[in-house]
Amino acid sequence: MEIAINVFLGILGVYFLVGLLVGIIFLLKAKKFDPLMADTKKKVRFLLFPGVIATWPFLIGKLFKSKTV
Amino acid sequence: MGLDYQLVLWNKYKKTYDKIIALSMLLYVMVFAGVTFAFNSETSIETLVIRAFGSLAIIMLHLILIIGPLSRLNRRFLPILYNRRHLGVSMFIAAFIHGGFSMFQFHALGDVNPIYSIFTSNMDYGSLTNFPFQVLGFLALLILFVMASTSHDFFLGNLSAKVWKRLHMMVYVAYALIIAHVFLGAFQQETSFFTIGVLAIGFIIVTSLHLITAFKERKIDRTKVSEKDGWLEVCNISEIEEDRAKIFTVDNERVAIFKYDGKLSAIHNVCKHQGGPLGEGKIIDGCITCPWHGYQYLPSNGQSPPPFTEKVATYELKLDGEMVFINPKAFEEGTEVNPCKI
Repeated sequence: MEIAINVFLGILGVYFLVGLLVGIIFLLKAKKFDPLMADTKKKVRFLLFPGVIATWPFLIGKLFKSKTV
Repeated sequence: MGLDYQLVLWNKYKKTYDKIIALSMLLYVMVFAGVTFAFNSETSIETLVIRAFGSLAIIMLHLILIIGPLSRLNRRFLPILYNRRHLGVSMFIAAFIHGGFSMFQFHALGDVNPIYSIFTSNMDYGSLTNFPFQVLGFLALLILFVMASTSHDFFLGNLSAKVWKRLHMMVYVAYALIIAHVFLGAFQQETSFFTIGVLAIGFIIVTSLHLITAFKERKIDRTKVSEKDGWLEVCNISEIEEDRAKIFTVDNERVAIFKYDGKLSAIHNVCKHQGGPLGEGKIIDGCITCPWHGYQYLPSNGQSPPPFTEKVATYELKLDGEMVFINPKAFEEGTEVNPCKI
């Protein structure tokens, strides 16, 4: 059981660490994720920050897509 | 439905609702504290906070879960549904205070990582009577965090309505975890029939309302319509109220037929915002208005009025005397269809 717990918490830790990294990128370059963020007040980014950490696998694709455009 | 994102989408009514939520939460905690100290003056502040906010979060979660079915059963509950997002975030704050204080009091004062401690301080996972119930609460809090942190239109737009909806349907998993957390946990230490009773009544209410709504929805899907030359005869025109719609299942899709200004128009019943039932909304300022969050569509083409870009599929209608017929083949989303004149 302890191994399963360690694996689960390890995955959870890595997930949130990567999320934190993506969240910081979002704070700096939010419009790369969504063009509407260009006209949005900066403080909104901080409100969205925890959600970006939580859902980064769904959002990271937008970051790479915007780089190719 | 916007051209930029706002911090919080407040209007006069939402501000009033939020004030009611905040004051009710404050009042509950104060009453809880008063009653607790009156009957057990030795209760520590930490324990009081844990219990007050834990029970508050559970009550709020029950309210959140019944708002959906209630508003499907009775339109008078729709204004509360309109404000459910803020109630959800407030509930997470209450749950977070409960979880945070619990973690601090029981797991943060040792030399083990508090989160690791939640999972390993009691390894009796095979026991029903001594199950490590805090793990269930932690997992529920994790789900509630994801839901609360994505309760913004930015995520609805960027995760897609489908993914967003699926994430938020996880509330039922969180609910199951919380019920187990309370039953296995609090009742291990304190067998209060009152608390068990209240929780059981809450569970019965939530389940019953969902079942009643599901039966009502099933009735719509099972309504038989007869076919005539490729057109489906759906109803008599008098069955549709003015500026309202009647919902039918056509080709396995729900369609809303609206009557307005001496005309009839049909569109797909599912709002692009959060999948709200457009046919339960009404025509406001010439637009079909979703009852959930007010997203609007023009009846003749299923398009949100410019500059907004949401579109739903449209359908062709015809009248034969008093009877309304629909062509079951949907047009592309946003296709202009001449309204059927009455």
